[in-house]
Amino acid sequence: MARLRNWLDRLEPLFTKGGRYEHLHVVYEMIDTIFYSPPDVTRTAPHIRDGLDLKRVMIYVVLATFPAIGVGLWNTGYQANVAMLAMDVSAIPGWRGDLLGWLGIGYDPASIIDCFWHGFVYFLPIYLVTLVVGGLWEVLFAGVRNHEVNEGFFVTSMLFTLSLPATIPLWQVALGISFGVVVGKEVFGGTGKNFMNPALVGRAFLFFAYPADMSGDAIWTAVDGFSGATPLALGAAGGMPAILGADITWLDAFLGKLQGSLGATSALACLMGAAFLIYTRIASWRIITGVIAGMVVTSLLLNWIGSDTNPMFAMPPQWHFVLGGFAFGAIFMATDPVSAAMTNPGRWVFGVLIGVMTVLIRVVNPAYPEGIMLAILFANLFAPLIDYCVIQLNIRRRTRRFTGSVQ
Amino acid sequence: MASTSSKVVLDPLVDNNPITLQVLGICSALAVTTTLLNAIIMSLALTAVTACSNGAVSLIRHHTPSAIRIIVQMTIIASLVIVVDQILQAYAYETSKKLSVFVGLIITNCIVLGRAEAFASKNPVGLSVLDGLGNGLGYSVILLIVGAVRELFGSGSLLGMPVLPLTTDGGWYQSNGLLLLPPSAFFIIGFIIWGVRTWKRDQVEPAEHQIHAVHRQEVV
Amino acid sequence: MIGGLLQLPNDDARKIVFVALGLCLVCSLLVSASAVLLRPIQQAEAALDQQRNVVVAAGLGSPDMAAADVAASFAQLQVRVVDFETGWFNDSIDPATYDPRAAARDPSVSSALTRAEDTARIGRQARYATVYLQVSDNGLQRIVLPIHGYGLWSTMYAYLALEGDLNTVAAVAFYEQAETPGLGGEVQNPRWQASWEGKLVFGDEGDVRLRVIKGQVDRSSPQAQWQLDALSGSTLTANGVSNMLSFWLGEEGFGPFLNKLRREGV
Repeated sequence: MARLRNWLDRLEPLFTKGGRYEHLHVVYEMIDTIFYSPPDVTRTAPHIRDGLDLKRVMIYVVLATFPAIGVGLWNTGYQANVAMLAMDVSAIPGWRGDLLGWLGIGYDPASIIDCFWHGFVYFLPIYLVTLVVGGLWEVLFAGVRNHEVNEGFFVTSMLFTLSLPATIPLWQVALGISFGVVVGKEVFGGTGKNFMNPALVGRAFLFFAYPADMSGDAIWTAVDGFSGATPLALGAAGGMPAILGADITWLDAFLGKLQGSLGATSALACLMGAAFLIYTRIASWRIITGVIAGMVVTSLLLNWIGSDTNPMFAMPPQWHFVLGGFAFGAIFMATDPVSAAMTNPGRWVFGVLIGVMTVLIRVVNPAYPEGIMLAILFANLFAPLIDYCVIQLNIRRRTRRFTGSVQ
Repeated sequence: MASTSSKVVLDPLVDNNPITLQVLGICSALAVTTTLLNAIIMSLALTAVTACSNGAVSLIRHHTPSAIRIIVQMTIIASLVIVVDQILQAYAYETSKKLSVFVGLIITNCIVLGRAEAFASKNPVGLSVLDGLGNGLGYSVILLIVGAVRELFGSGSLLGMPVLPLTTDGGWYQSNGLLLLPPSAFFIIGFIIWGVRTWKRDQVEPAEHQIHAVHRQEVV
Repeated sequence: MIGGLLQLPNDDARKIVFVALGLCLVCSLLVSASAVLLRPIQQAEAALDQQRNVVVAAGLGSPDMAAADVAASFAQLQVRVVDFETGWFNDSIDPATYDPRAAARDPSVSSALTRAEDTARIGRQARYATVYLQVSDNGLQRIVLPIHGYGLWSTMYAYLALEGDLNTVAAVAFYEQAETPGLGGEVQNPRWQASWEGKLVFGDEGDVRLRVIKGQVDRSSPQAQWQLDALSGSTLTANGVSNMLSFWLGEEGFGPFLNKLRREGV
């Protein structure tokens, strides 16, 4: 390690002001702080001493997504392998097939290894494109503004990738992450100043710009010509009977064995991530609980109201929880500390708003079977207002207490 | 005089653009810019209304009682808008079917009333007409850019002529559906404002707050 | 008198009234003059637009043809009014003045549909509809039927042209809709509309079988002649199109009329 430190120190003059690669300082700084704590110290108020800096927060979030990645990759491969078996396709064309063949990986749906690697060859290019393109924008803006490149981008890139369908064209990935990073974050001043979750902004851009590649029946399974609706789309058309009729059990859905985005199908994996994030106090348990509470209350209310024409009214809360991206959104997207509400009572309101809106969009809106993405973006817009109200109410309460005690 | 009048016409194009600097008249800019043709027609309609209403308001400025001056201006603008709408229905029927509502809404467009009240009620007729023309053109410039971008990348065509062959018609360009939805105009106008303010630094508003340099060693 | 009023100070009540009245007079003259003078041109344009839609649907022209050609092609068509209650023509109604959309709102010539009947979700159905017939010496060549129904966000309006056998689709033209651009809005895509040509509407039992299916039509399937390609990503708009076909060609719509026309000819 000492040798690495020496090497970095030797290079440093080249990148500081007046050095030959001055304009690449952000890149140097980025690499340096991956290995070592930053040497600079806080010089003005407020002073808070904590072992938890931004870098660790972000790395913990990425770590927390690992179960979701693992299950997601397996599920992506599993869905594809099952479809290939049904369609009597023995191998996939292109470099993916070559790579799998070279690795000696088969297409057996029963083999966890086969499924995982099959999913991996879809995940990898999407993730790499996200990292490279989004990273370029990060470095560009950081360089121009003389900011540091921020680790928050690792979280954004991972969440963005996991929320996409496996079949998404790579140029759309590049466009989506560009929009997410530039319009969702950088135009507002960069990390910490964005009011919406950049990963979701990027995803929403793709959702509205290229709906044929982001929704529908044909895109969720990475096999050409295979059409399989997500359970939520089935539900929108035929309600619970349609979902159960497609041989989807609640346990399948809970484990994540169904059509859906790359890494957002497994409620179980997301809950494992949630346990880690709450234990390390990175994510707000209030937000997560609020989202779930809002969803449960709204769906029970709609169950009770009932509807003859809209079968989604009858979907019980435990199904809402395991289908689509609900758990993934509630745990990883809604808890983004920058774009969520920051006061504790505000976090409850924020969470409940997301839960209520998710169910309303899923059930009442005719166009979108899934609602968590739009619900979170909607609540992001309200977060500053919620915080403002909480703070004003608190000020008023304390003023009243004060004047009361004086009299 | 010549320099004043050219300044009155040219200033609103970039330096004092009603959309990018004053951020007025955004509503119609969102709604009518899905195609370039719509944007052109709307630009013509608004420019005509602004120029004529400025002229009319200026003409009677010495005899307008201040107690009812806003109502007087609104009456003039509303009448002109109805006339323009009637003309469009007669000579551009296809477009007017799509634009009719928004042409009517020119009445509520802040640019028109804003120029009548701020400029025409205090200046001579000729200059007022030029001011209306200039502001109408400033609005038009932005509308045309937004309309061109949205039609080109949203439908792959310009003025209805295919430019980028669409995948749905067997070509290579996959149209961007977001650009056909009204919010996309917000993004495009935002990018235009970003560009203009990078070019003309004096348009940048002063920061509302200052962020202390806390962490960086070498803050410049 | 006028000069005297103008000499008054601007805040004098008499002057305020005078200016207000004068302005109103001038403005109302301007507005009514433009409305009255332009009305004939506007009506001609509106009629031309509607004729153009019909002519395109009848397969007699393209959307960008010149006005004179539209009129010439339209002149080849007979315009008649069909009465849904009798299931036959009603020539006492003048098609030139009959406005189906206004009629659908008028309780005296329209009826509210019950939820079960109203598969196309149009609310009220007018009693009469204007149809366009192309008749030659050999009998009926083509008939153009106006249909409409609710998709995802909006009511979609179309003209459906049938061949002389009153079963084969000659062409379709959707001319008014506000579905999602790029998805449901693709009902106006000329390529998709062209795929309707040659499809059959009715099954062997006289039931309306033509509908938009999920996914692409398998050309080799015997069912293909009653199936239309899906519009990708827009199930609800596609369902709206299917529903509007089954409503307007079924019992509540033109079904009885077409049966009688098939038996008896024009």
